[in-house]
Amino acid sequence: MTQDFGWIHLVPLLNGAWLTIQLCFFSLLIGGAIGIIVGLGAASKNKLANVLSSIYIRLVRGVPLLMIIFLIYFALPMLHIGINFSKGFSAVTALSIYAGAYLGEIVRGGIQSVPKGQFEAADALGMTTIQKFRHVIIPQAMKFIIPPGIGFFIALIKDSSLVSIIGYIDLTKAGKVVSSLTFNPIASFLAVAAVYFVLCFGLSKASYYYEKRFLRST
Amino acid sequence: MNLVFHDIIPYIPLLVSGLGTSLMITVICMLAGTVLGLFVALAKSSKITPLRYFGNTYIEIFRNTPLIVQLYLLYFGMGQLGLDISPLWSALIGITINNAAYTAEIFRAGLSSVPKGLYEAGSALGMNAAQTFRHVILPPAFRTAFPALTNQLVLLFLFSSVASIISLEELTYQVMNIETQTSRTLEITLIATVLYYGCSSIFVYLSNALARKVFKW
Repeated sequence: MTQDFGWIHLVPLLNGAWLTIQLCFFSLLIGGAIGIIVGLGAASKNKLANVLSSIYIRLVRGVPLLMIIFLIYFALPMLHIGINFSKGFSAVTALSIYAGAYLGEIVRGGIQSVPKGQFEAADALGMTTIQKFRHVIIPQAMKFIIPPGIGFFIALIKDSSLVSIIGYIDLTKAGKVVSSLTFNPIASFLAVAAVYFVLCFGLSKASYYYEKRFLRST
Repeated sequence: MNLVFHDIIPYIPLLVSGLGTSLMITVICMLAGTVLGLFVALAKSSKITPLRYFGNTYIEIFRNTPLIVQLYLLYFGMGQLGLDISPLWSALIGITINNAAYTAEIFRAGLSSVPKGLYEAGSALGMNAAQTFRHVILPPAFRTAFPALTNQLVLLFLFSSVASIISLEELTYQVMNIETQTSRTLEITLIATVLYYGCSSIFVYLSNALARKVFKW
């Protein structure tokens, strides 16, 4: 039985959109934490931390997100070590690993954009490493981290559409379901695209005004 | 846990042909997308309002919606309109259009980094607008844009894996295919990961080597 595409189909799409937003929010939180650790590691002089962080960043950035999703959802259970994540958990894990590498690169770039004299000044004042980062480096690095960070979050919303392939009912998968229910892929996917557009475009406009208001002054 | 790779040996030709298709669509879509992107960037920075409006809308629409939805729309949408379009053509057209929006933004940044004095210098030498653009503006703009274009090439290669969802027989599609036939999920996913990583590293290496050779001035 087929149905005509109508307003009623916006309900599953908006449900999917809500799941996409949740997915991206949690992935940003976890990925952000990974990104800060890895970014600090990649910018540090400690050889071991530097090498490990750089390997993580390069490895994840050199592999398609789709492969990371497959590795976690399909391949990890094959190790038979008791790992068998649900679709939602796999999706958050894969996106967090992915976001961690890209955000790590942004954090590294931000820290290294702070002039060297600032590090030396903090040392000259007898600050500990934690004080140095907390009071001198991080506040200045934020200016270089926030704008590309928001840019990456917008990209993450779009990239999260790939989790639809393992069957997680996000916005894209909801569109696929509606499309096969109504036999109207044009209307279904145009509606899906419109929702993504509102999310991403709205966020990029908001970040533009935020940057204008808060970051230019410093 | 034990990894068994010998089951996969008979499928190596499939992997190779899948990788070939992935590389092919990457190269074609990068070249076509760069040319198209340059025109979109020119439209966006044009003085003619409708053209500028078009360039702007193009970039915003394709940069703010996922590639996967664009491919679905192209592949299944064309089918709905009664036009049979093959997965290969859908992927080539869809990824090129998508890629052009990103390269357009890269070129726009490159073009705006060129000092205004160069335009004046071009016209002072008696060049017309096209000559000034081709010989004076484009070379430094291209050099500024090149690192970002390299980055875009790698991203394009990685995201070409998305074309597997419209059943284009590229690397990811073949991986899923072999996975179904052998049930060697972990092994084949690892092989694919290594192949993707190796190729993207080679892309970075070749681009850097090319940049050193071309941008000597």
